[in-house]
Amino acid sequence: MHLIGNISIYLALALSVYALVIFILGIYKQDQRLVDSGKAATLGVFILASISMLVLFTALGTSQLQFEYVALYTSTDLPLAYKLAALWAGNAGSLLLWTFFLTMYTAMVAYSKKMKNNPLTPYVASIMLGNTIFFYIILGFVAKPFVLLEQVPLEGRGLNPMLQDPGMLLHPVTLYLGYVGLAVPFAFAIAALIIKSVDAFWLRMTRRWTIIAWVFLTLGNVIGGYWAYKELGWGGYWAWDPVENASFMPWLTVTAYLHSVMIQERKNMLKIWNISLIILSYALTLFGTFLVRSGVLTSVHAFGDSNLGAYFLIFMALAVIFSLYVLMSRYHLLKKDSGQFESLLSKESSFLINNLILVGGTFAVFWGTIFPLVSEAVRGTKVTVGIPFFNTVMSPILLALIFVMAVCPLIAWQRSTVKNLRDNFLLPAIISLVIIGLLAGLGMRAAYPIIAYGVISFMILTHIVEFYRGVKARRKVTKEAIPVALYWLMVKNRRRYGGYIVHFGIALMAIGIVGSNFDSETMKTVPKGETIEIEDYVLTYEYLAQRTEGINDIVFANIHVSKAGKDMGYIQPERIFYGSWEEPSTEVAVLGSLREDLYVVLSAWERDERATFVVKVNPLVRWVWIGSYILVIGSIFAIWPGKYGNITPRYTGPQRKVS
Amino acid sequence: MKKVMVILTLLLLMTVIPAYAGDQYDYKSAEFKEVASQFMCMCGCGQDHFECNMQGCGLNDSFKSEIKEMMDDGLTKDQIKDYYLSMYGEEILTAPEKKGFSLTAWVLPFVALGVAGIGIVFIIRKWVAGYKEEETSFEARSEEEELEDEIVKSMIDEERKKYF
Repeated sequence: MHLIGNISIYLALALSVYALVIFILGIYKQDQRLVDSGKAATLGVFILASISMLVLFTALGTSQLQFEYVALYTSTDLPLAYKLAALWAGNAGSLLLWTFFLTMYTAMVAYSKKMKNNPLTPYVASIMLGNTIFFYIILGFVAKPFVLLEQVPLEGRGLNPMLQDPGMLLHPVTLYLGYVGLAVPFAFAIAALIIKSVDAFWLRMTRRWTIIAWVFLTLGNVIGGYWAYKELGWGGYWAWDPVENASFMPWLTVTAYLHSVMIQERKNMLKIWNISLIILSYALTLFGTFLVRSGVLTSVHAFGDSNLGAYFLIFMALAVIFSLYVLMSRYHLLKKDSGQFESLLSKESSFLINNLILVGGTFAVFWGTIFPLVSEAVRGTKVTVGIPFFNTVMSPILLALIFVMAVCPLIAWQRSTVKNLRDNFLLPAIISLVIIGLLAGLGMRAAYPIIAYGVISFMILTHIVEFYRGVKARRKVTKEAIPVALYWLMVKNRRRYGGYIVHFGIALMAIGIVGSNFDSETMKTVPKGETIEIEDYVLTYEYLAQRTEGINDIVFANIHVSKAGKDMGYIQPERIFYGSWEEPSTEVAVLGSLREDLYVVLSAWERDERATFVVKVNPLVRWVWIGSYILVIGSIFAIWPGKYGNITPRYTGPQRKVS
Repeated sequence: MKKVMVILTLLLLMTVIPAYAGDQYDYKSAEFKEVASQFMCMCGCGQDHFECNMQGCGLNDSFKSEIKEMMDDGLTKDQIKDYYLSMYGEEILTAPEKKGFSLTAWVLPFVALGVAGIGIVFIIRKWVAGYKEEETSFEARSEEEELEDEIVKSMIDEERKKYF
């Protein structure tokens, strides 16, 4: 098995090199047979990557401790799901997963029906193969997944308890699908530049790939947040950790791209900017990987003892230099046939402001993330840049973004007039001001949240107005009933209304994010039968007990909860003691509603069964998760092919000899 | 010298301000939160000393009791901050200080945003000026008209696809 694993890696490396060379030859000689051979080789590389994955999965699942990777990240008593998930717990395995996705995407592009006869195909595949080769070099010579131990240990080191959570099954996979997915639009952009075909067509082809990557990035971040909330016991879901920032930055730049691309489609403008955003997004994924693997910054996510960072830094530098060279060499081409801006007050301008804020936000996150390194380089003094910094700097930026999201949909393309603005915004603005007044009247005193809720409600209202106007306009033409008109309006304009659903999702998430800052907390040590009171809640600690799951011992407290005199049932916060890990882990108990979460952590206990609990009331957190579901639904709605979702047209442009 | 001054100040405060002595702060009180959340926990949990609930984080436990002791002795938030700064340096803080070089951390994002914003306005104005030179006539259209146009166009397209 060890042999099959290693052969699959080295053969895939050789085949990737072959595919790249044969593609280049095929392009150079304009020989379709060579290109077809390259395509077959990409499929071969994908099959080999699948074999590598299968071998490692088998070794992990069957606890073959002679493999160093298996011994390092699993133990025989680990549940099968986590044995398998350990594939992405360490450096070598997670890079193998990355490579697997990369080869999968490459094969998908090469064999896509929509790419038939498209001269971009061999170029796109070549660029992706360049990436694949880098990853195979790492897997083959630096972080080898199939290294055998000289002495087979009796037991493995086990999986870090914090990783033994359903989040581990989903968070890394979705995040990697997003990260690696960004290689596809990057490859399309560079390929389009190389063949000097930078029209709007490649944008339409890549849009779906970009949205898919964006959705996976979103999902990865949200699942990660939910995991942190449930697992880490500090009651939050986002800590602005360098590695979290690393996945947030490309999310911001891709969001900027998905908006500014509309100007290119409508006006044939911002071509350089759009390609730069794609390059930047891809570079940021590599930067994130560098952060995780290098250990240059302290992070709870970082992979330990790794020198991989340097390789990623070099690769990132090469990728960026190559991309910028290609971009600059086509600069004159991109400047040609540009459209025009007709007014400062137009949808085009609002998209530019949206881009400014998103990219400005990216810079703020980037600057905060690398500032410890900058400070050390300049002053020789280490500093920490933590949650207070990011909350302070990012809050106004994200608030401004929500405001632009509110304004953007209702501004006309080309030119808007003051009368248009008044007609569109007056009612939402008045209602938002009433909401602000109500919040202040209800006792909310902090200025920031009041402004935030005012802006969020303004955004929701302008979107409702947009739906209303769409239905009204459609009914004027078709005389349909309101639900029918709404249905057809949305279905026939999937992209536009999918985008608006995404905006609704973000609004709900923002409601949750702002609300969750109003948490209250108490920590108390109580004997059996005693109560802890927090806000309207009364928690009665009934008893402490122990149960066994496999070789793990679980200590849990049974707590009865009542709220304002109403029985809410029982909750059981836990501490898990692992047979193969020194530190126990926290399993918080959450009693949630749309209004708030009661969040209870069993912190410690004494021999006389007195127990210490950290109890939090986190308002509106559930809105963050609900918002994220809606965001994903909106994204899927926007990219759903269906009868009216013809967003990835087949290539019908000029033919070349090879495709 | 700075360290000596801080320690002297601390000693002085401990003896001179007995009014605060004897106040007992709860570990989860707002006052304690205000002080403890300034400092980054060094056990690798990524949290500040107030939030860190990591089992076995001895560093956090002793840090918390030390902070509480100082608060009970009447030291202010800033005095406690200065004490730890002199011991551990700026790395102990959860965010860079708003002075000296560290101020750039706070200011630069907004400066960059401002400069880029001015740049964008300038570019749009230039584009608009270029357009106006070529412009012959313009009739303001409302977003509603645009929407209607879009809907009618999509319906015509559909009919065209069906019959031709």
